Amino acid sequence: MLVPSSWLRQMVAIEADDNELAESLTLAGLEVEAVEPAYPWLLSAEAARISRVETLDGAKNITACTVETSNGEVQVVCGAPNVQEGMLTAYVPPGTQMPDGKEVSESVLYGRTSQGMLASEYELLLEGDASGIFDILKKYPEARLGQSIADITKIHDTVFEIGVTPNRPDCLSILGVAREAAALFHAKVSFSEPGLDEDQPLEGVPIRIDDPDLCNRYVGAAITGVKVAPSPGWLARRLLASGVRPINNIVDVTNYVLLELGQPLHAFDMNKLAGPEIIVRRARQGEKVVTLDGKERELTKEMLLICDRDRPVAIAGVMGGLDSEVTELTRDVLIESAWFYPPNIRRTAKALKLSTEASYRFERGVDPAIQKVAALRACQLILELAGGTYQGVKDENPVPYTPREVEYRPKRINRLLGTDISAQDMAAILESLEFEVEKADEDLYKTVPPSFRGDVKAEEDIVEEVARCHGFSKIPTQSPVATLIVKRPESFKPFMDRVRGALAGEGFSEIISYSFIAPWDLKNLKLPKEDIRNKAVKLKNPLAEDQSIMRTTLVPCMLSTISRNLRRRNLSLSLFEVGAVFIDKGPGVIPDEHQRCCCAITGSRFPESWAWPEQEVDFFDIKGTAENLLDILNCQDCVFIPSQSPETFYVPGTQLDIKAGDVVLGTLGQIDQAVAKSFGISQKVFLMDLSLSALAEVATDRKTFSPLDRFPSVERDLSIILDDSVRAQDVLDFIAQNRSSYLESFYIFDVYKGKQVPKGKKSLGIHFVYRAKDRTLSEQEVEKEHEPLTKGVLENFKGSLRS
Amino acid sequence: MEDRLKSIEDEALRALEDAQDKEAVEAVKVRYLGRKGLLTGVLKGLGQLPKEERPKIGRLANEVKTRIEKALKERLEALSSAGGPKLIKGFDPTLPGRRLPVGHLHPITKVLNEVCGIFERLGFSTAQGPEIELDFYNFEALNIPPDHPARDMQDTFYVDDKVLLRTHTSPIQVRTMEIMEPPIRIIAPGKVYRCDSDITHTPMFHQVEGLMVDEDVSFAHLKGILTHFAQEIFHKDTKVRFRPSFFPFTEPSAEIDIQCVICRGEGCRVCSQTGWLEVLGAGLVHPAVFRHVGIDPERYSGFAFGLGIERIAMLKYGINDIRLFYDNDMRFLNQF
Repeated sequence: MLVPSSWLRQMVAIEADDNELAESLTLAGLEVEAVEPAYPWLLSAEAARISRVETLDGAKNITACTVETSNGEVQVVCGAPNVQEGMLTAYVPPGTQMPDGKEVSESVLYGRTSQGMLASEYELLLEGDASGIFDILKKYPEARLGQSIADITKIHDTVFEIGVTPNRPDCLSILGVAREAAALFHAKVSFSEPGLDEDQPLEGVPIRIDDPDLCNRYVGAAITGVKVAPSPGWLARRLLASGVRPINNIVDVTNYVLLELGQPLHAFDMNKLAGPEIIVRRARQGEKVVTLDGKERELTKEMLLICDRDRPVAIAGVMGGLDSEVTELTRDVLIESAWFYPPNIRRTAKALKLSTEASYRFERGVDPAIQKVAALRACQLILELAGGTYQGVKDENPVPYTPREVEYRPKRINRLLGTDISAQDMAAILESLEFEVEKADEDLYKTVPPSFRGDVKAEEDIVEEVARCHGFSKIPTQSPVATLIVKRPESFKPFMDRVRGALAGEGFSEIISYSFIAPWDLKNLKLPKEDIRNKAVKLKNPLAEDQSIMRTTLVPCMLSTISRNLRRRNLSLSLFEVGAVFIDKGPGVIPDEHQRCCCAITGSRFPESWAWPEQEVDFFDIKGTAENLLDILNCQDCVFIPSQSPETFYVPGTQLDIKAGDVVLGTLGQIDQAVAKSFGISQKVFLMDLSLSALAEVATDRKTFSPLDRFPSVERDLSIILDDSVRAQDVLDFIAQNRSSYLESFYIFDVYKGKQVPKGKKSLGIHFVYRAKDRTLSEQEVEKEHEPLTKGVLENFKGSLRS
Repeated sequence: MEDRLKSIEDEALRALEDAQDKEAVEAVKVRYLGRKGLLTGVLKGLGQLPKEERPKIGRLANEVKTRIEKALKERLEALSSAGGPKLIKGFDPTLPGRRLPVGHLHPITKVLNEVCGIFERLGFSTAQGPEIELDFYNFEALNIPPDHPARDMQDTFYVDDKVLLRTHTSPIQVRTMEIMEPPIRIIAPGKVYRCDSDITHTPMFHQVEGLMVDEDVSFAHLKGILTHFAQEIFHKDTKVRFRPSFFPFTEPSAEIDIQCVICRGEGCRVCSQTGWLEVLGAGLVHPAVFRHVGIDPERYSGFAFGLGIERIAMLKYGINDIRLFYDNDMRFLNQF
C-alpha cells in the first residue's frame, strides 16, 4: 500500500516528521518498507532557459532548442508551438520516469541529438496548460534557472510504502492508516461526512440481490449530467503517487475513494444499463462477459455477477464489464458500493487469474459499514469535479452487519505477555483503536471491535492489540525456567551428519542441489521402464520444464553439478550430496521419501603440485571411499560384489553392489560414457549411490576393544602367478575360509601383469601376518601353517609360484 | 700466490656456511685468522716474496682477511639471533607442503548446524518432517483455511489438491505436537519450497523451525530466547528489535530484526537504508493450532519461530547472490 504523506496528514494531524512517523507505524505492525519522494519527476525536472531556437520543420513547429541548464548547455528537439528564445521552461533530463510511465531518453530527432525533453505543465501533472511547454515565469516570476520544478511549485510529498499483512485489510486505505497513526500519536482522525442527503432515495433504478449469502449489501447512487474530463492535477498526482494511473474524472474518483476509504467502487454508464436495473446473482455455468480489459471471461456457477435487466455487466468485486464502462460520452453515472463474501471473491479472482485493487480488498474483507458513506463521498467528489445532479442513493442490505462481542481477561493477557499492564491501560489502548470496552467482572472485560476490524474475533486477538500498542520493546526480555525433557523426537539428522562428516574427512565436498529435476534427466540415465525411479512426483505448477518433477535419485543432480563445474574448468572434483528422494505413491498421499547419499569423483587424484606426479582417479578411489565410509560408520559384515542386476548408468562390468546380507546398501561404478555425455561430461566419472536408511540399519556405535599384541609377528610374502580371470576377492575369501588361528591378517600388496608374467596371467602378491596371543611363534610353527595354505591357494586357483 | 689466497678465502667462507654453532665459527677463525692460521701464514711469508709483488699480495691478503672477518661476524650474528633460521644445504623448507585434498561441508549445512547447536544447548531437540506434505499440515492445521488470503504469503508448488511441497518447516510443529505431550522444545531444520525465483529467491531454500510449549511460556520468554540466539549467531552486542507482524498460526506475531551487520545500523544497500535486517519470524502459538492437536490452550502456552538459513549464511559470510548456494561451483564450496 502506497500512502502519500500529505494525504495521510490531511486525515490526521501529526507533528512527527516522516521518518518518525514511519518508524512508529513499523513498530506497531504496519511495516514501512520504504519512504520515497512521491513525485520524483518534479525533482529531476528543472527550470532551464532556451537560449537559441532553430526551426527544423516550420509546418509542424519542430525546433532545435539550445537550453541552458544547471549542468551546462544541452540541445533539445521540441514540438511545442510556444518555444521562445529567453523563455524559462521545464527541462527534463534523460533517465527521468514521467507520470505516463515513459522514461525520457536521449535520442536523435530530425537528424539532431535531443538530450531530454521540454515539458508542459500537463505532462508534469501540474494544474495548467497542455498546449505548450511550461512558461514558468508567467506563473512563478521568482523562479531561477536550475531550480527544480518541485521547489518552484512547492509541490513536495513523500510516499510511504507499507507492507500490509493479510489480517489488516482496514489498513489498505488512507483512512485505516490514519486511524492507526491517530492511536499511536493520541490524535484524532478528521473525515468530514459528504454533505449530501443520504435519505434521498434513488428512484427508477431497482436493485435486487438474489444471492445475499455472497452479497450482504449493495448501495447504488446516481448522478446525472456529468462532464467527463481529465482529473485536475492534485487528484491525478495523488492517484499516481498511490500507484494508480489516472484515467478520467469519474473513474479517478472511484479509485480515489477506494484508496481513501478502502471501499472498492464501480461506476456504470447508467444509460448503457438495460432498465436501468441492477440484479446481483450467481453466474450460470459457461456464461460469458467481456471485462474492462477487453478480455472475454467464461464464468462458472460459483461466481457472482452484477447484471442489468438483460445481461451481466460486471464480475462482482473483481472487474466491471466493457460495455457499461464510463467513457468521454457518458452523461449519467451509477456508483456501486457493495460488500461481497471474501472467500468467494478470492476463488473467482484466482480462477480467472485476475487480481485487481478491488478484488484484493474484497477478498481480505472491507468494512461492512462503510458502503453508503463511500458511495456518497464519490458522489460529492464527482459533483465537484464533473458537475451534474445528485439523484439519491439506494441501500439494499439483506444481511446487516452485527457487531461482535469479544471477552478478555487482563490477567491472562499479562501472563501470556510476561507483562504487568493495568486493566485500565489495556482498556485505554483498545479505546484508542475505537473498540468499545466494558468491565464485566473482576477479571473479565467485554469489548466490541469497530466494524472495520473484522480480524478481531477472540481473546488472542486482543492480546495482540494490547501487545503491539503497548510496544513490543516494553515487554521484558526473560529466560524461561523450563522443565527438562528426557524424551526426544526421532531424528535422522545425527546419522546424516555422521555421513557428511565422514565424507568431508575423505576429502569430498558437499553439494546441495534442487530437489526438482527434468523429466529427461531420468531418461538420460536409461533406466528400464519398470524401474521404480521412473515413478516421479510431478509438480502441477513448476517454474520450468527442467524443474518439473521431484528427484527419485540423486544421480542426475550429481552429474549435472559435475557437468556445470567441468564447463567452468573445475576439472578435478570429489563431491557428495546427502538428501531426500521421492517415489510417487499416487494422488492425495505423501510420496515415499527417503534419504540417500551420492558421491562422485573425477579428474586428478591430488591437486597439481611439485610433490607428486599427476594421477587420474580411477575405480579404486571410489571403492576406497566406500570402504572407508563403511569402516567409519562401523558397519558390520558388508561385502562388495559384482552386481547381479546392473544399473544402466554404469559401464557394464564396473559395478559393485554394497551389500549387508541380502540388503543392497548401494552401488558404485564408473558412469557409462553415453550417459555422461548426455549430461555434457566427457571425462571419466566414478560414482557411488547409497541408501542412507539402509546404511543406518547396519551402522553401529558399538566398538569392542581388542588388547594390543604383546608378542612379535612373523610375516610372509607370497607371489603367485594366476590366470587373469581369477578374482582377487575369491582368493582372499579362500584364505579367510582356510585360515588358522595364527593368521592374524593378510592383504594384497602387489598386482602385476607384463614382463616375466605369461600372457593371460597375472602375478598376485599377498602379505601374511602370523601371530600368537601368548608367545612368540617359531618359524617352524608358522611354516606348518603357511605351507598348506599356500598349497591350497595354488591348487584351488591353478596357480604357480612366481620365481 | 693469488690463487692460494683465493682458495683460502673460498674454503673459509664455505666452512663458515657449514658452521652450525659458535664453536664451529670459532674453529674457523682459529684455522684461518689465528696466530697459526692459514691466512696469517701467508702474511707472515710476505717477506719471502719478490719485492715488487709484496705490496700487491699484501693488499690482496688484507682484503681477504677483511672479507673473512666480515663473514665471521655475520655468521655469528645469524647464529646468535635466537631461533634464527638454520639452513641445511639442499633442503628447501619453503617449498609448499604436501596437501591432500580437504573436503568441505556446504555453507548451508554449516550454518544450519550452528543454528541447531545453539538451540540444542538450550535443551531443544531436533525434529523432522516430510518435504512433500499434506495441505492439512502445511496450511489447515496451522490456521490457514482454504481461500484464506494468507495463502498468498507463500507461493506454493502443488502436486495435487491435497499434496504440496511444504512452504515452511512449520508443519513439523503440528506433527510433533500430535505425538508429544507438553513440555515440548524442538528445533526442526529442513528444505522448503516456494515457486519464486529471482536474485533474492530460490525455489528451494532452508528453514529452521523452533517450538517451545509448556505451562506459562510467555512473549517475554520468546524475546529472551531469540535475543540470545541472535547474539550467539551474530555477535554478542547485536541489537535486536521485535516488531508486530502477522502469521496465521501465531498471535501475537513478531518479526525480529537485527541491527544491520554490514553497516552497524548506519543504513546501507543491504538493509535498504533502514539499519535493520529481518532475520526471524515468531509469535505465541495460536490457540487454534493447539486445539487442532488436542493441547489445551488454557493450560499450556508456547512460542514458535522460523528463520531462513540462506539469509543468515549470506549475512555471516557476505554472500551477495542466493543462487550461488545451489550452483555448487567448487570455487564457491572450497571457501567454506
